[in-house]
Amino acid sequence: MNVLRAWMEERLGLRAVTLFLEKKEVPRHKHTFLYYTGSSILLFLGIQIVTGVLLAFYYQPTLAEANASVVRIMTEMPLGWLVRSVHSWSATFMIAIVLVHLLGIAFTKAYRKPREATWVTGVLLLGASLAFGFTGYLLPWDELSLAATKVGTNLPKALPVVGAWLTQVMRAGEDVTGDTLSRFFIFHVSVLPLAIMACLGIHLFLVQRHGMSIPLEEERKGVKAPALPFWPNFAFREAGVWLVLLGLLITIAVVASPGIGPQADLMAPAPEGIKPEWYFLFMFQTLKLFPARVLGLNGELVAVLIMMAGMAALLLLPFIDNRPFERKGKVITVLAWAGLAYAVGMSIWSLL
Amino acid sequence: MNGRMWVMAAAGIFLLGSLVASGVLAARVQEAPQASVKSATATAPGQETPVALRPARERMAVHVLLGWVWLSIAVLLGLLRLRVREADRIFRMGLNRAAEKTPKGQGTDG
Amino acid sequence: MKLPYSLFSRRAFLNSLIGSWLAALGAVFISPLVKYIVPPTREPDQVSVPLADLKDLAPHTVKGFAWGNKPGLLKRTEEGGFIAFVGVCTHLDCNVTFLAEKRRFFCACHEGWYDENGLNIAGPPPAPLRRLAVSVEGDAMIIKKQG
Repeated sequence: MNVLRAWMEERLGLRAVTLFLEKKEVPRHKHTFLYYTGSSILLFLGIQIVTGVLLAFYYQPTLAEANASVVRIMTEMPLGWLVRSVHSWSATFMIAIVLVHLLGIAFTKAYRKPREATWVTGVLLLGASLAFGFTGYLLPWDELSLAATKVGTNLPKALPVVGAWLTQVMRAGEDVTGDTLSRFFIFHVSVLPLAIMACLGIHLFLVQRHGMSIPLEEERKGVKAPALPFWPNFAFREAGVWLVLLGLLITIAVVASPGIGPQADLMAPAPEGIKPEWYFLFMFQTLKLFPARVLGLNGELVAVLIMMAGMAALLLLPFIDNRPFERKGKVITVLAWAGLAYAVGMSIWSLL
Repeated sequence: MNGRMWVMAAAGIFLLGSLVASGVLAARVQEAPQASVKSATATAPGQETPVALRPARERMAVHVLLGWVWLSIAVLLGLLRLRVREADRIFRMGLNRAAEKTPKGQGTDG
Repeated sequence: MKLPYSLFSRRAFLNSLIGSWLAALGAVFISPLVKYIVPPTREPDQVSVPLADLKDLAPHTVKGFAWGNKPGLLKRTEEGGFIAFVGVCTHLDCNVTFLAEKRRFFCACHEGWYDENGLNIAGPPPAPLRRLAVSVEGDAMIIKKQG
C-alpha cells in the first residue's frame, strides 16, 4: 500500500492537497451545522448523475417513445422503478438542501467580502439546479409534464421585444412539440451538466481558498472561534450526516415511488390540477393571483419583471449589501425572512 | 474485555451475514414477480400506471431490507461516533500537532 | 480455549468491522443498479404462423419468421413436414441464410456452412443450428422452444 502511495506521489504530487486538507479547519459555533449543507448537495448531485445515466440507458427521448420507455423502465427493467424513484426524490432533496444552503449563507452574511464571487457562482448553481428540475420534468412526457412545460415556457412571452423569441428558443418553435423534448433532453443530460461542473469547480475552489466564513455574531465577540480540524474530526461527522441522508433517501424512494400518467396528447385540453414541482409553486401561485392589469400595464409582464428583479437582487446581493455589520445588513436579514415567509406561504396556498 | 469482544464479533458477523442474505433473498423475490407485475399493469386510458404493484412477499422482503439498511446505518453511526470521539480526544490533547513535529509520524490509521 | 494474547488489536478489529459493514451497505445500494443494467431478454414462449402462408412452400425452401429479436427459419422437408431453426450462427451470432440450390445454410461472416438439417459441416461454427419444436394447431403452425 505504501509503495503504491509513493508511486502516485512521485508522479501526481498530490501531497499538497493532503497537506491542505490536514490543515483545513472548521470553526465551531452554534451555526456549525450549516457547514454540512454544501457537501450534502454534492452527495445528491453524485446520486443524480449515477441514476440519471442509468435511466438514460433505457429512456428514449422521442415523441413516440418517451412515455413508453419510462413505463418500460418502471415495469420491465429490474428495479427500474427504484432507480427512477431515487432520481426523482434525490432531485427534491438536492434542491431542498440547496435552498437551506442559500438561506444559511444569506442569514450568516457569508457572502460578504471576499466571498462575493463564491456567492455569485452559488446563485448560478441554484439556477442550474432549477433548470435541471424544469427540463427533467418534461422527459416522462405525460399529461402533467406537458401542461407544466407549456405554462413554464409561456412566461418569457410577457417580456417586450425578446419575450416571444425567448419562448420560441425554449420550445424549439411556437408550440411544445417533440422538438421541445429533444431540446430539453440535451439540456438536461449535456449542457446543464457541463455548466454545473464548470460553476461547481469555481465555487469549490473559491470555498477552499477563502475557508469557512464565520457568522457576524461570532465575529463581534472578537475572540477567535474554536475550530475543528477538517480531517478527521469534521469529515467523520460529515460521513455520519451522509449515512443518515442516504438512509432517508432510500426509505422514501421505496415507500413513495412516483407513478407516471398517460402519454401526453398535444391536442387534448389541459388536465385539471396542473402544478409544477414544489420549488416552483410560489411563483406559480403568484402568477395566478396577479391582477390582469397593473397600473395600465399587462399584469403578467409586471409579475415577470418583479421576478426578474428579485433574481437580479439575489445574484448581486453581496454588492447590494456590502456593509452587513451595519443597519443595511439588518434590513437584508428582515427582507430574507420576509422572502422566505412569502415563498412558503404561497407554496402552501397553491396546494389548498 | 475479551469476552465482550467475542460477543461483538459474533453479533457483527451474524448481522452482516443476515444483511447479505436478506439482500440476496430480496433480489430473488424481485426477479420472480416481474412477469406478474407486467401483466397487472395494463392501463385503462386516463389512469396512472400504478408503479411496482407488489405482491405481499415482495413487500415483506423490501421492508426487511429497509430494516437492515437502517440497522447497519445505526451500527455505522455508532462506530463512527467512536472514531469521532477519538479524533476529538486527540485534538484536545494536541497530539495531532505533536505528530507533525516528530520526524516519523505517529502510526495513525484512520 | 483462551488465547494468551489477542490475534489482532482492538483497533484493527474495529477497522475491519467498519470496513465490512460499509461494504455491505454499499453492496445493498449498488446491487439494484447492477441488476438494472442488464435488461431481461425474454424469448417468446411460442410463435404462430398461419398455415395459409405456408401452403405454397415447396420442399427444401425456407420461410422466415420473427423469433423474438432473432430471425427464425421454417423449412419444408422432402416428405412435406416442417422443421424450424433459430437462424443465428452458432459461431459469433451472425444471421444465416438458406441457399436453396445448395440446400445448405450459409453464414457470410466467416463462411460457416450448415446442411439442410442444421448440422454444422464446414467453417468455424462449433455446433448445429438451434432447433425449435413445430406443431400444427388448428389453422396455424405453432413454433415453440424445444425440450
